[in-house]
Amino acid sequence: MTTTVAQTTQVYQVFIKASAEQIWEAITRPEWTARYFHGAHITVTPERYDSRSADGDLWGDSAVEVFEPPRKLVHGWRSMYDPEMAAEEESRVTWEIDEDEQGVCLLTVTHDRLEGAPKTAASVSGAGWTGVISALKTLLETGKPLY
Amino acid sequence: MTDDDHVFKALADPTRRHLLDQLFERDGRTLTELETDLEMTRFGVMKHLRVLEDAGLVVTRRQGREKLHFLNPVPIRLIHDRWIDKYAERRVSALSELKTRLEGRR
Repeated sequence: MTTTVAQTTQVYQVFIKASAEQIWEAITRPEWTARYFHGAHITVTPERYDSRSADGDLWGDSAVEVFEPPRKLVHGWRSMYDPEMAAEEESRVTWEIDEDEQGVCLLTVTHDRLEGAPKTAASVSGAGWTGVISALKTLLETGKPLY
Repeated sequence: MTDDDHVFKALADPTRRHLLDQLFERDGRTLTELETDLEMTRFGVMKHLRVLEDAGLVVTRRQGREKLHFLNPVPIRLIHDRWIDKYAERRVSALSELKTRLEGRR
């Protein structure tokens, strides 16, 4: 296997058979995120991105840069669930939701500004974001969590 | 064609798999960078990239005057969840069933 430096800009895309509003709900409300995002209870307000474990431990706490329901969300990212990664510089996550006329949405997640966060970059790449996004798709399309 | 058909078709070609491996090593490359180690015309590489884009395996982004190509691994994950997990799991459960039966005979 080739060893590789984790990418400082990562792009993930998937079509989801759901409305833009449903997807927006699913990425901004804790009762939804807990079912596909490694159990994280995530609450997004126009000001703050707040992620907590089931026990209330702080997993993420960053400013929200763009809050345009149900189309675009941009927030900071710091992996506070791991002390080494928590010490790295903050990176940025952008969620874009584009709905077509048949009610199918294209969800694009871009995780960038990872230059100062190599451990975080490696940890979210590959199975990290792909797992979260495919679980979100499965949850919205079937009503069942993947795991 | 379904989404799966596009992905399987895109993966069924060594040049396209090579392009994905290149992007896996370093993401966000231009067409010029991608064509350097392929013995193929620029148009040939563009055609392959188009198939990968149609399958959702490659996403392009404009950055200034450049068009950058990014690997999108989500469709491969979905194929994995849909196909690999399913059959691998059945095999494992069949083996454990066999084990239980053989052990029960003792």
